[in-house]
Parts: sequence; structure tokens; C-alpha cells
Amino acid sequence: MDLLDRYLQAVKKHLPWQRQDDIIAELKANLESQLEDKEAELGRPLTALEADEWIKQLGSPIQVAAAYQPQRYLIGPAIFPTYWYVLRLATLWCTVIYSIVSAVQIFSGGIANGNEVLEAVLRLPGALITTVAWVTLIFAVIEYGITHSQTKWVPMVPPAVAWSPGNLPSFVKDPVTGKKPRSFAQAVAEAVVEFFLLVWLLLIPGHPWVLLGPGALYLQGSPFQLGPVFMQFFWCVVALSVFQLGWRCLDLARGTWQNPRQAQKNVMQVVGLIPLVLLLTVPNHAAVVLKHPALDQVRYGVTLNTINQGIYRVALIIFVIALIQTIVDFVKLGISAYRKRVGAI
Amino acid sequence: MTATDNIFENLRLELRRGCLTLAVLAQLRQEYYGYTLRKALADLGLEIDESTLYPLLRRLEAQGLLASEWREEEKRNKRFYRLSADGEQIFGQLLEEWQAINASINATINNTL
Repeated sequence: MDLLDRYLQAVKKHLPWQRQDDIIAELKANLESQLEDKEAELGRPLTALEADEWIKQLGSPIQVAAAYQPQRYLIGPAIFPTYWYVLRLATLWCTVIYSIVSAVQIFSGGIANGNEVLEAVLRLPGALITTVAWVTLIFAVIEYGITHSQTKWVPMVPPAVAWSPGNLPSFVKDPVTGKKPRSFAQAVAEAVVEFFLLVWLLLIPGHPWVLLGPGALYLQGSPFQLGPVFMQFFWCVVALSVFQLGWRCLDLARGTWQNPRQAQKNVMQVVGLIPLVLLLTVPNHAAVVLKHPALDQVRYGVTLNTINQGIYRVALIIFVIALIQTIVDFVKLGISAYRKRVGAI
Repeated sequence: MTATDNIFENLRLELRRGCLTLAVLAQLRQEYYGYTLRKALADLGLEIDESTLYPLLRRLEAQGLLASEWREEEKRNKRFYRLSADGEQIFGQLLEEWQAINASINATINNTL
């Protein structure tokens, strides 16, 4: 039957070459027997339409051939959890290392230029894709090795398997807030936002408009300029941002992103007061200074004083609010620790 | 096909997969070639697609549970399969397992009715 031969020829093309002749010979014998039975039942050969229907019902050549192939994976279920774990770590450390190297490269040439920072940010996705590609390639090779060696790969089980019940983290419940623990996606999103916030901060010295908008032009033409304390304030904020980003990355790497420690929050609250203290302790509250004091002191002295007083008062209000919040949080932490201790007794 | 139909179909296929292997091993205590085995199982009420049965025979043979030989019958070369010594042993174990599961499920069903 011509149609059957054509069908088997199409199936053969998709079979493993070492076994294709054998499989086709067997399949042909089986299908010819089936055809004979059908024709014997009908008492006549199949019509073209019936033959067409019958062949169609056998399934497409690719599908039929695929059933003879062993199940294949690029990365199989046995090592997928390990792959996913390593991939997360690799992308995270790639981001951290890349950020540090880029920062060193940029700042070793003096104060950052906005373009260099932007270029570094735009190169990051390429670095991440390369990392993902290498990790995937390595695991695909491992999968191939496992599949073809039939070895029991004990070291390839995820690190989580080598666990002991004693090492399990203590149970964390949050009955007061009833909040859901942070998801991995949320934690990653926070780290990414923190990263872009850092990039934005680093762009400010070279491109003040990213902070002040059109006000940057006004500042350029005005007799006033930000005093040296603002650079100290700025680098303090940058350091805080780097600290915060590092902490988030550490949480992700250690798998503790779901419930970040309260102590972390408290430390950040305290350290966050430092830039405000800098602003408040500047001699004569001179956060803003005149570009040409000798020429403009008489004309703009009063205005300058008003601006500096305004900045001081705003900074003081923010500082007081932040301090009260910090004290309240510390008191809560103390009460909670006391309750735990009493509960334990 | 609705989501429920899909779930049912997936579960049905999962349930059938192991049972088909057992049925094929049981039937191959006697020698058959692919098509006649399919007919014999269909006569017993177990319809199996060609695209499922023939590759399954290959896999079971590769695992050493079946032995096969090419032989001419009715002027046509056919590959005949039957249970190997290892196949017989494993079939016995699987049968026990299946009977135990079957008995447990029946007991569970009767208990809850």
C-alpha cells in the first residue's frame, strides 16, 4: 500500500538512526496485519478515503516516532531544584560583583560621570544573560552526563537535601500583623528597585536635573549653591543605599528574604539618622552658601539666612519624627523580647 | 475540553499507565507479536493505541522484562515477544503489589460508603 509506505517513511525520518530500520520493520508488519484484518472484515480493499482515515487515526509521524524516543530534558527534574538554586545565587552574585567592579572602575577615574554610570547599568542585563546561559549550559552538560552514565549522582541533589532537623530555622509566626511572608519575587523586586535608586543617586552629581528637574537650571543661574555639607550628606545617603542593597542581597543569598530580621530594620533606622545629624550640626546652619560671598553678602544675606533656617527646621522636624519612630520601635522590640523571656520561663 | 475534563483525562492517563504495563506483562506470559497482542488485549476489554503499545514493548524489552525474536509467519517477518525470566519475577511482584492496592482501595471505598 503506497500510503502506508509513505507514512512509514515519514515516521522513519524522526526515529533514532541506530534503531530506525528495526522499528520500521516491526511497525510495518503490525500495520500490514491490521490492514489485512480490516480488509478481511470489509471483504474488499480500503478505499482511498478509508485508507486516509485509518492512517490519520494512527497519529502524525512525529508523534508516533516521539513515542520511541526516551524522555529527554535539557535539565531534568532530578537536578532542576539544584539548577534553580544555583541560578538564583549566580545571578545575585553576578549583580553584586558587577556593581562593585563597575563602581570601582567609575570612581577610580574621579567623580562619577552620569554617562559612565548609565553605560554600566545598561551592560548589566548582558552580564546577567551570559551568567544564566553559562549556568544553564553547565547543568545541561551535567544532565547529559547523568542520563548517559546512569550514575547515582548524590552530590547533585540540592543542598537542601543534606539537612538535619536540628538545623531548621526557628518557627516564625506573625500573629500581630497577620502579614504574609515576602515572596521571592517581591524580595527580588525590592533589591532591583534599591539598585536603581542607587544608580539614580549616583547620577545626581553629574546631572542635578534628575533630582531638581528644571530647578537645576534655576540653581545654576542663582547666587546660591549647596554647601560642602551637602556632599557629605549625599555620600552618607549613598553609603546607606549600598548598605541596604547589600543587606537585601544577603537575605536573598541566605534564603531569609521571607522574614527579614527586626534587628536589620532597627539598625537601618539608627544609621538613617546620621545624614540628618550631619545637616543639623553644620556650623551656623549653613547648608546653602553664596557663590560669591564677598559680592552678594549684602544683597542676598537675609534670603540666604531664611533658606538655611528653613532647611534646618525641615531637617529638625524629620529628625524628631524619625527619632520618635526609632524609639517606639526599640521599646516594642524590648517589650517583645521581655515577653519571650517571661514566656520561656 | 473544560478544565475538569482536562484534569480527569490527565488522572485517567496516569492511572492507566501503570495498569497497561501490568496487563501487557500478564498477557505476554504467552507469545504474541505487536498486532495480535493489541487484539488480544482489546478482546479482554483493554483498548491500547498502537502508538502506546508498540513503543511500550520496546521499552519493556530494553529493561530486560521481555524477550523477542524475529520469525516468519504467514509469509511475513514479525517480531514476537514473551516474558523473560526477569520479567516473570518482576511481574509476580507487581501483581502482588497491584492486588494489595486493589484490596486497599476496595476496602476504603466500602468503608466510606
